Amino acid sequence: MDLKELYQEIILDHGKNPRNLGRAENFNKDAKGHNPLCGDKVHVYLKLNENKKVEDISFEGQGCAISMASASIMTGLIKGKEEKEVKEIVADFLEMIKEKENLNTKLLGEDEKTKLMCLSGVKQYPMRVKCATLSWHTLTSAIDKSQNEINNEVK
Amino acid sequence: MNLKNIKKEFPIFRNKVHNNDLVYLDSANSSQKPLVVVDRIYDFYTKEFSNVGRSVHYLAVAATNLYENTRSSVQKYINAKDKNEIVFTKGATEAINLVANSFGQKYLKEGDEVLLTELEHHSNYVPWHYLRKSKGIKIEFAEINVNGEVTLESIEKKITKKTKIIAITHLSNVTGAILPVKEIIKLAHSKGIPVLIDGCQSAPHLKLDMQDLDCDFYAISCHKMYGPTGLGILYAKKKWLEELPPYQGGGGMINEVKKESISYGDLPNKFEAGTMATAQVIAFDESIKFLNKIGIENIVKHENELMDYGQELLRRNNSVTLIGNPKNKGAVLSFTMKDIHPHDIATILDEDGVAIRAGHHCCQILHDKLGLAATARASLGVYNTKDDLDQLNSSINKCKKIFE
Ligand SMILES: Cc1ncc(COP(=O)(O)O)c(C=O)c1O
Repeated sequence: MDLKELYQEIILDHGKNPRNLGRAENFNKDAKGHNPLCGDKVHVYLKLNENKKVEDISFEGQGCAISMASASIMTGLIKGKEEKEVKEIVADFLEMIKEKENLNTKLLGEDEKTKLMCLSGVKQYPMRVKCATLSWHTLTSAIDKSQNEINNEVK
Repeated sequence: MNLKNIKKEFPIFRNKVHNNDLVYLDSANSSQKPLVVVDRIYDFYTKEFSNVGRSVHYLAVAATNLYENTRSSVQKYINAKDKNEIVFTKGATEAINLVANSFGQKYLKEGDEVLLTELEHHSNYVPWHYLRKSKGIKIEFAEINVNGEVTLESIEKKITKKTKIIAITHLSNVTGAILPVKEIIKLAHSKGIPVLIDGCQSAPHLKLDMQDLDCDFYAISCHKMYGPTGLGILYAKKKWLEELPPYQGGGGMINEVKKESISYGDLPNKFEAGTMATAQVIAFDESIKFLNKIGIENIVKHENELMDYGQELLRRNNSVTLIGNPKNKGAVLSFTMKDIHPHDIATILDEDGVAIRAGHHCCQILHDKLGLAATARASLGVYNTKDDLDQLNSSINKCKKIFE
């Protein structure tokens, strides 16, 4: 158990100054996520173009440093990716947060992976895993648009 | 029993948390258990176990006597008039569900109003919400003032000719406000309205006297009173228990069962269907003995001193904002910190062995009103000391440093 691993500089920085905060202009997909346990809320906005590429992505939300940093880093990595690629990255991230040691996707560069791996500290804090995954589940739900509001359960 | 060495009575404090002494400040959520209670459960299962109220063999008779003995202890502890006014439930949640269900079924119809407050725990809102759906009743909320209190006037404002029952907390699990329940009950009764009190937070900290309060229903959670989980108590005036229909059906609660008809058992069996939390009930007698040994007056004094000390400490800490400033306050210190989410606070404090709760504490209505998604909450029990609060304060300062 190490707090420094959880609250790394990069997490504190993204938590304090989240990137891509706000409502993306001309978004055409969005979804809200809510963690009923702690009250964390996130709203993800996407602009997908005709080739199903993420032209723009942003989020609004209220939550702890982990959930804000996770949403902030996520939106940075997803911009410019195609829908299929987004899904692969989300799945890879969720697996890493739950059980796998590393990220396997080839769709992210080493720098990007390093950045994401900063969130892996939550693995030692089962109650906080949901904080890290809320925005990712919400992104999936925005893309699928099957379900508007998702309740983030630990699976 | 001396409060100075009381931690010794609780085996949990022998353990380290992340290599630190445990500073347990989450008693409003659930209290720790003294060894006597834990031992009693062990002894019952190893030496005396049997189901109660059914068989006539030696063990069954002995277990039944023990079970009923706790009922008498509870009656004395809360000064109820009659032993049969004590109903065991699986928790305060079930006690409130019982009343909402049985009272609602018999007495509420479309357009009737149930009056709650903005301070209520979800346990004292959701069960009433079901009646909105099934019966078309309306739910009103008496508002809090800037100090996080609900006053007699605030209740009075919301009483109408349609108010059929008032269900309110005795002590808020977020702001710590102690409501003027006796005055509220008097007012309600003058208008013919019965009152249910959610006593979860008051029962471990205040002297209880059902006859003096004159409430109709009082819900208690045993696991917050140094007792086992899976157990709660519903106190209800005898006339209500006689008049209300049973909540759950099953064995033990019936009198005569025919193919065409069923008659129900005497009080309080009518409301205790199925095999109850026998070991927990029997062990809860030890919790009451434990509380009596310390003396509720001493508990009140000790916790008030701690509360004053803690409030003063946190007030002087300029990165902390206390939530609520009630004149009459018990055992709960809720707070926020600038730019640090309560969840992050709780995780960082935990590293030092300081256990607090973060979130909405099952009070979303209140948090919405306060405009907060979450708060951090340190809550007190008999075992806490000023050192615990000093540790809380210094861990809060560490938190501030990490986020600077
Ligand atoms: C004010 C209040 N009401 C009700 C409850 C629910 O009690 P129980 O856990 O016994 O069902 C709690 C405990 O969380 C509480 O604090």
